[in-house]
Amino acid sequence: MAVSWLSRLAARARVPVFPALGMHGDTILHRLALTPGIELVDSPRHASILLVAGGVPPDLHEALRRLHDQLPAPFATLWYRSAPLSELAGDLRVDDPEALPEALKRLHRELMSGRRDSSPRLLPDEPPNPWEGLGDDGHGGEGMMGGVPYGRPMAMNMHDDIRDGLTLDSLTVTLGPFLPVLPPGLGAKVTLQGDLVQSWVTQLAPYPIALENVFHEALQRPVPIAELELARARHHLQRLAFSLRLSGLEHLALVALRLSRGLNVESRVGRLHRWLTRCGFFRLTAAGRGRLEAGQARRVGGIAARAAGLEEDLRSRDAAYRRLGFTPIVQRGGDTNARWRQTLAEIDHSLQLACRAEQEDLYSEMTEAVETPRGPWDDYRPEDASDILEDLLPGLEWDEALTTIASLDLAGVSEWPLEPLSETSLKDDEERQA
Amino acid sequence: MELLTLLIVLLVALGAGLGVQWLAMCHQTMPTYPQRAPFLGGGLPETHAWNRYHVRYYPMTLLLIAFEMEMMFMYPWAVVYVEQGMKAVMEMGMFLAILSVGIVYGWREGVFKWQ
Amino acid sequence: MIVSELLLPVFVVLATLAVGAYLVGVIDGAIGAALGAPRGQSAWLAPLTQGAWLLTQQANTTEAPDWRAWRLAPALYLALAATGLAVVPWSPTLIPTDLTTSVVLWGSVEALATVVIFLHGWSANTLLALIGAYRYVALGLSYILISMFVLIGVALPAESLQFSQVVASQAEMWNVIRQPLGLPLFLIVGLGMTFWGPFNLADSRDLAGGTASAVSGPPRLVWNLARAAMLVAFSGVAASAFLGGWLGPWLPGPLWMVIKMLVVLAVLLLIGRLVPRVQPERCVTLMWVVLLPLSFIDLIWAGMEALL
Repeated sequence: MAVSWLSRLAARARVPVFPALGMHGDTILHRLALTPGIELVDSPRHASILLVAGGVPPDLHEALRRLHDQLPAPFATLWYRSAPLSELAGDLRVDDPEALPEALKRLHRELMSGRRDSSPRLLPDEPPNPWEGLGDDGHGGEGMMGGVPYGRPMAMNMHDDIRDGLTLDSLTVTLGPFLPVLPPGLGAKVTLQGDLVQSWVTQLAPYPIALENVFHEALQRPVPIAELELARARHHLQRLAFSLRLSGLEHLALVALRLSRGLNVESRVGRLHRWLTRCGFFRLTAAGRGRLEAGQARRVGGIAARAAGLEEDLRSRDAAYRRLGFTPIVQRGGDTNARWRQTLAEIDHSLQLACRAEQEDLYSEMTEAVETPRGPWDDYRPEDASDILEDLLPGLEWDEALTTIASLDLAGVSEWPLEPLSETSLKDDEERQA
Repeated sequence: MELLTLLIVLLVALGAGLGVQWLAMCHQTMPTYPQRAPFLGGGLPETHAWNRYHVRYYPMTLLLIAFEMEMMFMYPWAVVYVEQGMKAVMEMGMFLAILSVGIVYGWREGVFKWQ
Repeated sequence: MIVSELLLPVFVVLATLAVGAYLVGVIDGAIGAALGAPRGQSAWLAPLTQGAWLLTQQANTTEAPDWRAWRLAPALYLALAATGLAVVPWSPTLIPTDLTTSVVLWGSVEALATVVIFLHGWSANTLLALIGAYRYVALGLSYILISMFVLIGVALPAESLQFSQVVASQAEMWNVIRQPLGLPLFLIVGLGMTFWGPFNLADSRDLAGGTASAVSGPPRLVWNLARAAMLVAFSGVAASAFLGGWLGPWLPGPLWMVIKMLVVLAVLLLIGRLVPRVQPERCVTLMWVVLLPLSFIDLIWAGMEALL
């Protein structure tokens, strides 16, 4: 009796969802973040539903299995625009973004009421290395540091420290590709000494990002500048929202997401910028670290390049933009702080350009190249630049390293455009719930 | 009597905290090894996490010890402060002034930075 | 005798902790909704449903945790919160434990909180929790001095280390006015010792939940509960030390305490949502170079004021 009462109460909780992102899966997260009754959590231990959003490349299936097995029971897996793993072929798959929130809630309710069993464990119940009964005391350890106590070796001193030369143990781990604080798909082998990144080897490049169709069209024919600039601002606002959430400013992240959802030529980011300045985002969180050299900045392109003082923007070559009086904004510094200032300035600039372009009904005139939010796309699409992290991150403290990664847009651009989400506005979503 | 009450409060809260965990734990099976692996976003560690951790703020902890000693003198000082008047002000003022110089020196030497 | 000196105090403390921790959840949810979080169920129900879900979830384990420390840490943190709240006076007569050294006792609660939070992250034997634990120690060792100087400041005019005397000494003027730097500094300490908002270095999002990243189910429930309970205990101490405790016109003393504690809680939770997380290195420098000298000034100010 008491148990059924407890599970009925538990069924009404906000649904804790851990997202494992596949290709182009991040767009649905922007929507879920604004959906009432859904909570996106940071650790699989805090979730009752594993949401696999977007196709997961086959070489990541093993990591996905490991992640799947890390959720505590009872849990379920939901596949959004993604083919379930072969062992989980019977799992629920949803392709309609409209239906997703309700499906997540129903799944949680079914789990809590016992109508659905917890998802099965996929990997065999074996320790990483056999240890029981081995070694000096039967716990797998040998001598001072040897053996595999409880299935794993102990940390050993491998590298000299890069800051104060005091050599202590270093830890080597593989991070990702489903770590929610990294760009989706990014995997790396990282050595830490204390909380300092000692070395970073990018093993899996982040998934290519899909840009809105208008950037692809701009290479075929002239497109309205207003549309181009709004799409650009949307992309940057979504990146900003990710970083704000990472730094604990949940409400401002939602402001940025809402702004990007209902973006039009009348929108302005002045207020968001003021709030960010006042709450100390630039001084306390995005303090100047992760400075890019000119060569690195040129490789990354786009905002990162302009934040490092390079006046590189394909828009200044377009006659229509020149008629609008376009000159690229640049910052000095090239660090995290400069990149976010640059991002906010460019969003503002884009909105102003969009406003004027709409009044004059201007179309882009250059079709051989386009400046995407990710960087210049002329003969080649902007390519993945995540290997610059290998030079950039060593020496940074964990928090600094992650804010640096969040401030950089490193993934390559996908050859496929972003699939437009259906027209139902967010307002309807929220009103329907209320 | 006061201390006894305090002890009971402490024990009841501790017992409640342990009890809630124990009640739920006593009828559940041990999680599988893959579930117990550390969460690293699908990745794996090479070793256990316990190590000779490089605590990068160790100079700051040394500075703290200097102040912690001072706190010991400060509690009785606070009680007799009004009684002793200016004498107490001067004594503690000198003490704090010396320690402040220590902080400024430490700051200049970068002890608050990650080493 | 037994009832009034033993059972009543124990009941008052534990009931306040339970109701207070629930209210922390409610107020935090309400503030979140007011700041634009998507409105789901009512804020009154949300902490209960979340708690019920955690009770039904399996308790996770890591490969080779330090079992005793890992399970003890959340319970100890809760016990520390209860101990801290036990020295908070509700009225001149209703004082759960009226120790003559209650300010010192609260100081030791603050110091031990650092140990317990460290233990929680360390004992899990996973990387992200470990980083959270060591990072928290840097914060814990930095806020403790500020807290002590500020609390000594309120002990000076009271000529006592007893919270009931501290409250009584504010009969003419509350310490929040008499020592204007005290309360703001102390609120920062409160955010630090519950690692809330800007000082959430232990359980932060960049560490996927930090010291709590590997726990689930009932242990996580106790941990969240203890954190909220510590906020409640802190707000009780802050209300006694700076806002005149039970003092106030018209209403009975305990009611004034409740109102003042709720105000302190609301301010803390609001700051927690409005200010971004401070980078660890920046946080330590800020504490030692800016806030600690400010607490010296507060102490000197309090001393001068007490002699005049």
